Amino acid sequence: MTRAGSPRIEGYAVVAAIGLVAALALRRPELAIVAAPFALVLVAGTRLARDPCVSVELALAADRTVEDADVEATLTVRTDGAVDRLELLLDLPAGVKIADGADAYAVQLRSGEAREIPLTLRCSRWGVYELGDMEVRARDSFRLVVWEQRLVGRHRLKAYPSQISLRRILAPVETQAFAGSEVARVKGDGVEYADIRSFVPGDRVRSINWRASARKQDLVVNERHPERNTDVVLFVDSFVDVPGADGSTLEDAVRAGASLATRYLERRDRVGLVGFGGVLRWLHPGMGITQRYRLIETMLETGVEPTYTWRDVNLIPARILPAKALVLGLTPLVDPRFIAALSDLRARGFDLVVVEIDPVPLVEAGSTAIEQLSYRLWVLEREVLRARLQGLGIGIARWGDLDLETALEEVRTFRRYARLARV
Amino acid sequence: MRLAAVALVALVAAVVLGWSPLVPVSIVLVGGVYAAHLAIDDARLDSATPAFAAGLLVTAELAYWSLEERDRVQGEPGDGLRHAAFVAGLGVATLLVASVLLALVDAVRTRGLAIDLLGAAAAAAALFAIVVAARGQSRTRQ
Repeated sequence: MTRAGSPRIEGYAVVAAIGLVAALALRRPELAIVAAPFALVLVAGTRLARDPCVSVELALAADRTVEDADVEATLTVRTDGAVDRLELLLDLPAGVKIADGADAYAVQLRSGEAREIPLTLRCSRWGVYELGDMEVRARDSFRLVVWEQRLVGRHRLKAYPSQISLRRILAPVETQAFAGSEVARVKGDGVEYADIRSFVPGDRVRSINWRASARKQDLVVNERHPERNTDVVLFVDSFVDVPGADGSTLEDAVRAGASLATRYLERRDRVGLVGFGGVLRWLHPGMGITQRYRLIETMLETGVEPTYTWRDVNLIPARILPAKALVLGLTPLVDPRFIAALSDLRARGFDLVVVEIDPVPLVEAGSTAIEQLSYRLWVLEREVLRARLQGLGIGIARWGDLDLETALEEVRTFRRYARLARV
Repeated sequence: MRLAAVALVALVAAVVLGWSPLVPVSIVLVGGVYAAHLAIDDARLDSATPAFAAGLLVTAELAYWSLEERDRVQGEPGDGLRHAAFVAGLGVATLLVASVLLALVDAVRTRGLAIDLLGAAAAAAALFAIVVAARGQSRTRQ
């Protein structure tokens, strides 16, 4: 630990020195008597002060948590020598706070004593946090000497994004070959009734529709839609992040992405990820609980890496975007590179839906007339952009004032009409 | 009187602004007022000196304690009372030590070369203490 003097040392030394010199100059012993206690405290305090040899350990009850959930932690303090006041100042990263108290504690320890301080940590934002950075400060009884030590954290806490309640999610236009929960458009073995047709040799007897056969005086069989799984690729815009008072567009994009991924994986769909921005991150489509953790942990690393290079979808490996996959773009629709990538994907025939993390509520209109005019023009430009993308057949769920489920419902309606128009 | 008011302002400023060098300034100013009072009165020995010394030390302790509390560190229950008792004990000890010293000075009743030598030794000791304090300020890794 680093030993340092407190401001008392300087102060008492100055008072004692001036008092004693004044006593000599003015020939008044009373001034020496007044200065003597200061000098005595100084001498006694510095002579009696010993390095307490403090050790501090932080233990977390869990290394993973969810946003706004509490994580129990214990701070264990041990000392070899007695400490009159041991101050522990936790240096928590932005986004983590102490749920039930302050981030600085003071305890008194006897020689050889160990003390456990329970803490409750809370992450207000998803992310990966390095915990354990703290400042330890020990004072002697006279508070003349201070021992300080800076401890560097060795604990990693992952805060997963909180789940957004979604009862219904978007169904892709096309399904894949494996069994799942989505009713396919094709006909085959399944539960959902599709149509009837005339019996042909090879049809199973159990599929004969006896009522229809009786009416038509010919054998008629039922056709059904099979239940298949789908491929979904989350296409996250990490070119730009629009910050607001309570959060940012990227934070919301990751929350929405994690919730959508969880819901699709529950339906036995395969879900992949492309983080498209300054750093390109991807994850092959997969299914199951393991894939869910992979997806979320990959999204936790998502951040805005500034770049001025032009990026397009050619950079994305072909296997990441399987044919017939539903591509869900999560973007504030601010960066032109991501908008160009969306148009490119649509031109390549991908079933594309954009979940627009609306940045408009996060941006202040400004106070001057020019600023307000600029703001209105920007909002109008966004309307034009939205209309242009919808003209390409891209459904846009505008997630801002409305909740995500309602926004997705609007896209479902749009896709219904868009398909009719295409036919 | 004006000097005492300046001392009070310096002390309040030290506590409010969190600037610790103002604490000894205010203590020295009050000491200056006391020295002026002694010089003007020219009494043989002031019997109020122990109380004055204890008052000064307790004032300085409370001022520095107040500055330490600016960090807003959550202490244990009873932490404040314990330190208040320590400061009170320090005040009582100062009162006793100063009384003993005063009695000693009164008993010796020496004015002249002996007290000059004692003062010179005390001044040298004070300067030595300042040097030690200054060296202690330069942080050394242990």
